[in-house]
Amino acid sequence: MTEMPEAPRILLDNVSLAYETPRGRLPVVDRVSLAVQEAEFVVLVGPSGCGKSTILRAVAGLNAAESGVIAVDGKKVDGPPEHIGFMFQKDTLLPWLTVRENIEVGLDLADISPALRARRVADLLGLLRLSEFRDACPAQLSGGMRHRVSLGRMLAYEPAVMLMDEPFGALDFQTKAVMGRELLRIWEAERRSILFVTHDIEEAVALADRVLVFSPRPARIIAEHRIDLPRPRNLRALRASPRFTAYTSAIWEALGDEDPISVAP
Amino acid sequence: MTDPVIADEILPPRASVRDGVDVSTWVWRLALIVGLLVIWQFAAGNLFNEFWSSRPSLIGERLFALVNSGEVWRHVGATVSEALLGLLLGALIGTPIGIALAHYRRAADIVDPFVMGLYGLPRVALAPMFILWFGISLFSKVMMSFSMVVFVFILNVTEGIRTVDRDMIDLMRTMRAPRSYIMRKVTIPSIVPWLLASFRIGIGLSLVGAVVGELIGANRGLGWYVLRAGGQLDTTGVFAGLFLLMMIAMIANQIVFLIERKVLHWRRETR
Repeated sequence: MTEMPEAPRILLDNVSLAYETPRGRLPVVDRVSLAVQEAEFVVLVGPSGCGKSTILRAVAGLNAAESGVIAVDGKKVDGPPEHIGFMFQKDTLLPWLTVRENIEVGLDLADISPALRARRVADLLGLLRLSEFRDACPAQLSGGMRHRVSLGRMLAYEPAVMLMDEPFGALDFQTKAVMGRELLRIWEAERRSILFVTHDIEEAVALADRVLVFSPRPARIIAEHRIDLPRPRNLRALRASPRFTAYTSAIWEALGDEDPISVAP
Repeated sequence: MTDPVIADEILPPRASVRDGVDVSTWVWRLALIVGLLVIWQFAAGNLFNEFWSSRPSLIGERLFALVNSGEVWRHVGATVSEALLGLLLGALIGTPIGIALAHYRRAADIVDPFVMGLYGLPRVALAPMFILWFGISLFSKVMMSFSMVVFVFILNVTEGIRTVDRDMIDLMRTMRAPRSYIMRKVTIPSIVPWLLASFRIGIGLSLVGAVVGELIGANRGLGWYVLRAGGQLDTTGVFAGLFLLMMIAMIANQIVFLIERKVLHWRRETR
């Protein structure tokens, strides 16, 4: 490992991952190396089921790497590291808790003073436009609102590294665009490191500082694109710009002729 | 939450909690029962000898007499306390066993055939042994009732824990939540619907246990009352006993329903 002056937030060095299946070992990720710097927004794209999510789970310490080294904040990952936030495609809210209580889960665990805690919850509810639903249960909310709560729960304890596994993948087109805008707004205000997985190329280009393109399983990095679009980004204006289109078609090309969404997992 | 059914006595929790039924449903229910009682009243004695079936009016009189003399409380009290103690004991012992079996998969695999063997055993066949061990006291009926109910809790709780959403637990782990926190915030709340479903099934079964115990050896209780009435060819007495048993089951069901509505309010979509 080459030590840089400041250690990257996330570092993967020659990481391979595999699943044990009844029919034997299934290699999922093949010798992947990548780094996410402080305040960098990195998006992983690739065909569904290629192993991007597995990489994210490994960074979160939920899966162990078969070989190679994963480090978060310079510390080797062995179980969930400190100061990370994770977001699944499903909202994974606790249905028996109210919106406010769900957001407080992260704070319960982070040992934060009650005064600070109340203020932060109130701020977040405002930021995510959920104030009037603070005492509602998730079953009473729409899918988009549930995802906002889920985002709020992650933001509440201010993780230094955010790992997002197709967090808006289950949402309809419009809600997805709104969530993307919200995420950018929040991230552009207080920059953290984000590793974001998606199979939506436009979403990837719209959000990222850097896009890493993966091959079908076992996943390898087959292309890397630095997205030099100005920030703050206006998603609607962006989609019409020729540079945006140039990036998306370059990534389409890197992925080959296969339609990334229809590739079987 | 997936709700697989693997045995008759594992009842997946209701997908959502209903509010009470509307007035017209109650009107129809009343009409149905009144209609049936009227048919019974006139058929008995006209279409067949009322010796075989008694008549609603006679049963009503008998119930009235039982209440008036206070005798009813002796029987109802006995049966309810046997069933209730059996049900609570079954919950108290079955729930931790269910949690343990869900947690220690290896141990669960080892004991599985034995648990299923005991579960498949007609518990009625245990009655002679319970009488031998515990006499014809209250305790032998409680044990009978317990033996009916405990498996419901074991199997439902095990199944409930196995269907806890893995992603919720993984998410808690990424926040470095200790096991006790995950247990308190995720595991236990997710098995509450399964526990309530167990109580719903358990009510009927615990009454079966209590009544079977009374049929075999007792000097009080609704099972004993029905058996004695049958022995005296007193069909009115038999039906009066059955009616009381049915009322107990219905009231107990309603209580669980009200608890469900209160505890599982989060399952209700009010949009």
